[in-house]
Parts: sequence; structure tokens; C-alpha cells
Amino acid sequence: MKVGYRWLQEFVDIPETPQQLADRFTNVGLAVDALEIAGSDAIFELDVATNRPDCLSHLGVAREIAAIYGSELRTPKFQLREAEHRAADVFSISISDPDLCARYCGRYIAGVKIGPSPDWLKARLELLGVRPINNVADVTNYVMLGLGQPLHAFDADTLAGQQIIVRRADLDEKMTTLDEVERQLDPSMLVIADAKRAVAVAGVMGGAETEISSATKNVLLESANFDPLSIRKTSRALGLTTEASYRFERGADVEMARFACDRAAVLIEEVAGGTIFRDVIDVYPRRRTPVTATLRRQKIQGFLGVPVEDAIVEGIFQRLGFNITKHSHDGWTVEVPSHRVDISREEDLLDEIARHHGFDRFPSTLPKWSGFGSHLPFESDERFLRSRLAAAGYSETIPMAFSDESTERKVRPQIAPVKLINPMAENEAVLRTSLIPSMLRTIQWNTYHGIRDLQLYELGKVYWDGGETRSLIVAATGSLRPKSVHEAEREFGFYDIKGDVEDLLRSFNVAMQSAVNSVPAYYHPGRSVRLGDLVVFGELHPDYARDYKMRHRIYIAEFDIQLLFESRIRGSIEAVPRFPSIRRDLSLLLSKGIKYAEVEQAVRSVAIPELAGVEPFDRLESGSFPESKYALAISLTYQSEDRTLTDDEVDVFDRRILESLTERLGAELRQ
Amino acid sequence: MSSSDGIGRLRAIERQFDRDRISVADLKSLEDIRTRYLSRKAGLLTLELQNLGKLPKDQRADFGRVANEVKLKIEASLDTLQATIAEREKQTALGREALDVTLPGNRRRVGHRHPLTIIRNEIEDIFVSMGYTVEDGPEVESTYYNFDALNFPAGHPARDPRDTFYVSEHMILRTHTSPVQVRTMEKIQPPVRIICPGRVFRRDAFDPTHSPMFHQVECLVVDEGITFADLKGTLERFHKRFFGEKTKTRLRPSFFPFVEPGAEVDVSCVFCDGSGCRVCKGTGWIEVMGAGMVHPNLYQFVNYDADKYTGFAFGGGIDRYTALKYNINDLQLFFQNDIRFLGQFA
Repeated sequence: MKVGYRWLQEFVDIPETPQQLADRFTNVGLAVDALEIAGSDAIFELDVATNRPDCLSHLGVAREIAAIYGSELRTPKFQLREAEHRAADVFSISISDPDLCARYCGRYIAGVKIGPSPDWLKARLELLGVRPINNVADVTNYVMLGLGQPLHAFDADTLAGQQIIVRRADLDEKMTTLDEVERQLDPSMLVIADAKRAVAVAGVMGGAETEISSATKNVLLESANFDPLSIRKTSRALGLTTEASYRFERGADVEMARFACDRAAVLIEEVAGGTIFRDVIDVYPRRRTPVTATLRRQKIQGFLGVPVEDAIVEGIFQRLGFNITKHSHDGWTVEVPSHRVDISREEDLLDEIARHHGFDRFPSTLPKWSGFGSHLPFESDERFLRSRLAAAGYSETIPMAFSDESTERKVRPQIAPVKLINPMAENEAVLRTSLIPSMLRTIQWNTYHGIRDLQLYELGKVYWDGGETRSLIVAATGSLRPKSVHEAEREFGFYDIKGDVEDLLRSFNVAMQSAVNSVPAYYHPGRSVRLGDLVVFGELHPDYARDYKMRHRIYIAEFDIQLLFESRIRGSIEAVPRFPSIRRDLSLLLSKGIKYAEVEQAVRSVAIPELAGVEPFDRLESGSFPESKYALAISLTYQSEDRTLTDDEVDVFDRRILESLTERLGAELRQ
Repeated sequence: MSSSDGIGRLRAIERQFDRDRISVADLKSLEDIRTRYLSRKAGLLTLELQNLGKLPKDQRADFGRVANEVKLKIEASLDTLQATIAEREKQTALGREALDVTLPGNRRRVGHRHPLTIIRNEIEDIFVSMGYTVEDGPEVESTYYNFDALNFPAGHPARDPRDTFYVSEHMILRTHTSPVQVRTMEKIQPPVRIICPGRVFRRDAFDPTHSPMFHQVECLVVDEGITFADLKGTLERFHKRFFGEKTKTRLRPSFFPFVEPGAEVDVSCVFCDGSGCRVCKGTGWIEVMGAGMVHPNLYQFVNYDADKYTGFAFGGGIDRYTALKYNINDLQLFFQNDIRFLGQFA
């Protein structure tokens, strides 16, 4: 909201410059978004907190200034000259729904002459960015900006039946507002009506048919108080926010309605001529009950940290318009002024004391306590996991959690996603059910920006209807090592993702579970593995990669990290062997189709305790052997805990292993 | 034959050796010269020594002394030559192995943590060291925990579907991590001292300073005797640890439904140390948090004795703290995951 420095000076003496005043505003909680020096005047753009509608006017801001400097607040003085005719004789006002309208004041002004406002009035409004319309409308805006009370002026001769009825709109009632838009109303909305129809959306905007025009002679001036929640809902429903609705939905001062009505009437007479009929028609069905609040002296120190002198406390109350009705050693009871709709309890008063005494006057201490802090469970596992992934070359990503249902269903057909009623966009209408599409979008983004070689991971949440959990995805594509002056290029391959998966599992001491071949459909059927519920990994199905216009092979691994963390064990550490080990290599010919796991199984089935390791180290698909075969070289490492093995012993082991391989798999020794 | 003749010949051999020695360039010619002079069968010096027996007995000592002297000298000279040549040949061999050390080294790819993770860990570590416990909670949250129990009245603008993502009438994507505070207070009686970092959602269009998804960290302390001064001190301590000991913290009165008094928290600008720059728009201060004393209405929702306990709460954006720490002026960079951006973090 904008306020002018000169205008404020009409209400209160300001002993400091605009710049100094701006700092004071900041210190009492009136945030200054901008300060613009305009000649000898200055305009403050204030960000008034939603609980302080009393500061949405020059009078209200002046009240804070008076409290800041301890200066006198001057409310406007004016001479009201009323005609003999009584307003109530020519007009009637009634409120059908007093729950939504606490008070309605009306004045009748006859014989006005509509025209442009005098220069001083136009200048005032223009300085604050308000466009002058005509003298009567300008007065209503001027009084609102000055006193905070929204007003509306009707062309009284356009109101049917010379009456105002404040009521809920009828079902399917329509009305054209001042901005020439036809509005569809409903019974949740309060309207101002005449004998026939709605003529204004109460507290939001007047109607086009009853607005002041150059032909207007008689004016009915409205100064009312409406229910904040109702105004807010109506304003939202119509998508219409006005200066009036902005103030009413935060809470206007019900006791200001009559005063502002008089003030505006006098100004209208001054700038547009006419006669003010006698008396305000003041319908006030819901009188305000006085609010009192109590502040206990010991609470000041207990809550704010240090005591504040009585004289300071009382000075703040007095300058803010809180009447002290009771004062004892224990504290104060005060009457809350009607414009302070935000205050009802002790903490509210403590807030006033803290603000006006100054936040910077309170010391800085640390809470005293014993005990210790702690991280989330599994935080150390997570940090360990991240460090392992970084060491393996993977960078962390954090993508958006939004997705669209068809994309998610393609990956997780069985999972009902969390659907948003009001998404930002159609393709962001659900929360993701897996980490895969967002990872692929990240790969796509980087690829489109010319970066083809990627190793990425995300440790993030997935959601479903009824729950959410954290999950891990690891992904890689392009080169593991780019070509350099030293080395040839090396593409990332299946065995690289497999090695990384194995390393991760090993680092958590999780035993490799046996592979099951039921991978989701988005994996390459011949290049993917599932290890129980713990991890599934492999190459992305080319059809699926094509959905993201990716031509390169993409490798992914999905982990259930909860399972990973929970199955983590601290493995026992073994001493280094005291005796040398012996390595033997076997070069085998095997029928194509025999898998390595079968070979290792055949080796291990011999159950030689001294066999410490089996490792394949070469594989040939063709050579000086039949086409139906392939060559596989494996190394066998033998190790004894209590002696140095002899060649003779190991020869026997080798022979037994070869026999097993021959017997089970038809393996031959390659010559 | 006399010893003087013999000694003369020995000296001649010595002089000849001194001449020959100069031409020795490698181990091969060194071996040649050694053989020529010292060979057991035909070495020049060896042959001369065989004449020892032919000398009169009284001259043998002189001859022998000189012969030995010449032999030692030649041997020493040959040893020195050998060491010199060996060293030279080693140097030559090493020279042949020289690489262009100005070529770049082999790089192994190393991954990077996301900056939001780095900063979240840093913030968590500061608070844990100060005695706080980290808590978390669901991101799909009820309006009760997100609004009602935090003193947001019905119809409060924050509840508007234009600002908050709704999943159903009573379920939303949490707009702050404050629901975790309520959930924690439901579980335990004071003392409560927790921080809740996490992901939150608001219906803001993506731009350099807004994102519909971002991250917050909030702090809650409830105990007997907790004061506004404790709030100030805690905020100051945290910001000194996070931004550096020079950092100043300022509280400005403001309003949030769940605290009173409420405050906006500013820190002295980390870029200009408070002297005024583009980032702080010349004010010397940067707004980083909302804070305040816990509103007593909240205690009713969790059955705390509002007369016995007081507390404070504050919260800020992890994304914002990260942006300030690294001088990043576009939040969108955090969620694009461009490796050229991510690769700059440790």
C-alpha cells in the first residue's frame, strides 16, 4: 500500500526525514518495499502484514508514527452542515443477513453537480497512483485512503424503490459490475440490492447501472462493514480483488463507518455542491463488544527475556490507543481499540511491547539445556552411500517430483499415483511413482545440451496413493572414459553397471542374492538382472529409450535403499594369510549357451576348503575349436590357513575340479 | 737391466695410460683399456711386473713400490671412469624415457553431490552440534497438520488452491515443513528441540526466484523458560556458523499465524559485508527466514500447558541458503541437473 509523507503529516508531526521514517517503519514491522522521493514529498510503498488492516490508511500509519515518536495523533476536524430534510424520509436501508454485514451507514446528498475534482484532490490521488474519475467517486477513494473505510456512492435516482437491502444474492442472479463485466452471483455472496435487483457486490465492487454519471443529481453514500471471510470468498470466486475487498477481507474498523460517512459527505458537498440530508441512516445490528486483554508483568521477562520498565509499557499502550482499565502490581488490563482486530490475548500485547520497545533492545542468549542432538536414522548410511557413488563417478541429481500419469503408468502400471486437483500443467498432474522418467528427462536435458557421457544418481522420494518412500536410482550412458591422447574411448557397458552394483552391495556387506529373471518390461530382456527385492539393473529397453529420443544405450540400477540399509552388517575383518597362495589357470572349451554361473557352480560343488577364489579372465567366441564351443580361461586360487600348499596337492585339486566341469558341463581342457 | 729402466718403463706406461684414458667414452672402451693394461695374461702393467724377478734383489723394493703405485692409480682412475660413464649412460637412458609432462593427466570421473545436499548436510550438522534432533514427515500432508493445527484460520489465503496443491479436500502437498513440528509435539512432551529439513510445494511458476517445489529447514524449541532472547541468540549463532563469524543477524517484526511476536530474519549481506551491493539491493541486509515465538494456540492442538511452556520456531529455504552460499542467482539451476552446473560442486 502506498502512503504519502505530506499526507501523513496532516495526521501527525514527523520529526524525521522520509528515509529515517522508513527505517522506523521497518523496526515496528511495517515493511517498506520502496521509498520514492517526489519533489518535496515522498511515497512509501508499505507491505502491510495481513493481520494489520488498521495500517491500510494514512490515519492508521499515522497512529504507528505517533507511537514511534510519542507525538499527538490528529483526526480530521470538519464542520457538518445538514439540511432540514431527513435522509430517512427519502430512503430506507435494511440488512437481511446481519451475519455478513455488521453495520451499514448511508447518507443522502441531493443536488450535486458531477464534474472533475479540484486540482488538490486529483493531485493527491495521482500521487498515490489512483486515477481520478469524477468529484464524487474521487472523494470516496480519498476518504478510503485517508481513513481506511471503503465507501461507495450510488446514483440515488437509479435505485428502485428508494431503498437499500443488504442480502445474499439469489440463485442465478446476475449483475454487471463497474468494470462492465457481467457477474454470475450465488447465495454465498452478499449483495447490495434495491427493490428490484442487486446493485453492488457488497464490499467488492458497485454495479454499472447505478454508478455515478455526469447526469447524477442525488447521491446515496454507503459506508459499511462486511464479514471478512465472506468478502474473501466472494472476491476469490469472482476473481475480483479491489481496494475495498482488500480491506474488508482483512477486517475494517466497524466504529469508523459512521465517521467516514460524515467525512465523505462533507467533502462531496465541498467539491460537488449539493445538500446533505439530516442524519446518517445507521443500521448497526451487530454491535461490537469491547475487547479487553491482560498482560502480566512477569510474563514480559519470562517471554521476552528481560524486564521492560512500567513507564515504557504504559507509554506504548497509551500511544497505540489502548486504555489501561486496570493496573496492579501483577500487570495491566487494557481495552483494545476497535481498529485493532488482531488483538485479544496476552501474547498479542507482548508482541506490541516487543515491537515498539524495539527487537534490538532484547539481548541474545542461547537456550540452556542438557542432552544431545542426533541425525535422522540411516543418515550415516546415506552419507556413506553418497560418498561411494561419488567415488564411482556418479553425480547427484534432484529433479522435480511432478509427472503425468501415462508416463508413470508405463513404468509402474500397478501403482495408483497421487493426483493433484490443481496442477500447474497437464503433464505435472501427478507425483512420480518411480525415479525412472525424471532420470531419463535429466539424461535427455544433458544430451540436448551436448553432454552425452553421464553417470548420475538420485536418492529421492517416490509417491503413491497412500504413501511415500525414498528410493535410489543409478544411471549411466555414453563413454565411461572419453578418448584422450593417452587412451582409447571406452563405452559404458552392462558389466560396468553390474560392477558398480556389486561394489555398492559389497560396501554395505550385503550378500549377493541369486539372480531372478523377472525384470520390468522397460529393461532389455537379455541384459538385465533382478536380485531379490534389493536391486534390479541392466540396460534400458531400446523401445523405452526411444520414448525419450535417446539413441544411445542407457544403463540403470534401482535399489530399495531401506532394504539395503537395514541389511547392512559390519563384516568381520580377517587377518592377512600367513602362507603363500597358489594360482592355477584352466583354459576350458565349453558349449555355447553354458553360463558362467554354471561353471562357477561346478567348480565350487567340489567343495575344496583350500579353494579361495575363482575368477574368469579370458573368453574367446571363436578360434581353433568347433563353432559350437567357446573358450573360457579361469584362474583358481588355493590358499591354506596352516601350511604352504604343495604342487602335488594342488594338482589333485585341479584334477577334481576339471572332472566336475567335464561331468556336469562337458567341458574339455583346451590344448 | 736395472730398476731405473724398469721404473722408467712403468712411468711410460702410466703416461701412456693417461693419454689413452681420454678417449674412453663408453663401457666397452673402458673394458678394452682395462684389459690392455691390467689383463692377467697380457696387460701392459702385468707384463712389466713379470720383470720383477729379473731385478737384483736390492732394487726390487723400489720397482715394486712404483709398480704398485702405478697399478693403484690406474685402477682408481678406471673406477672413477666407470662410475662416470655408468652415470652418464643411466642419464641417457632416463632421457630417452622422458614424457611430455605438460600433457594433461588421465582423469578418472568423480561424481558430485548436489549443492542442495551439501548445504542440507551442513545445516543439519550445525544444529545437531547445538543439541537438536533432526525429524522428518510426509510430503503429502493433511490440511489439519499443514494449516489447522498451525493456527491458519479457515479461509486464510495460504489455503487458496491458487497457492497450494490439493490432492483431495483435506490432503495437500505440504507448503512448509511445519507439520513436522506439530507431529513431533503430538508424540513427545517438552523439552522439544528439533529441526525439520524437507521438500515443500507451492503453486508458484518457475522463475529465477520461485519454484513449485523447493526445500526448507525449520527449527522448533519448546521448553520452560524459552524466551525471545533465546530465539535471537540461536539465530545469530547459526548464521555465524553458516556464513562466517562476521555475520550479523537482524529481526524485523512481521506476521505469521503460528508465531507471535513474528519476525523476518535478515543477515548482513554475505557479498558486501553489509556495505550495500546488487544482491542486497544496496540495503546491506538479505532476508533469509521467518521466525517468532510459538503462538500459544498451537499448544492447545498438542495438549501442552501453554502457561508452563514457551518456545520459538524459525524456518528458511535450503535452496535460498544454497544460492547465497554459492552466489547462484537462478533457482532453476538446482532442478535442471545440468552436469555442467553439478560438476562444480564437491
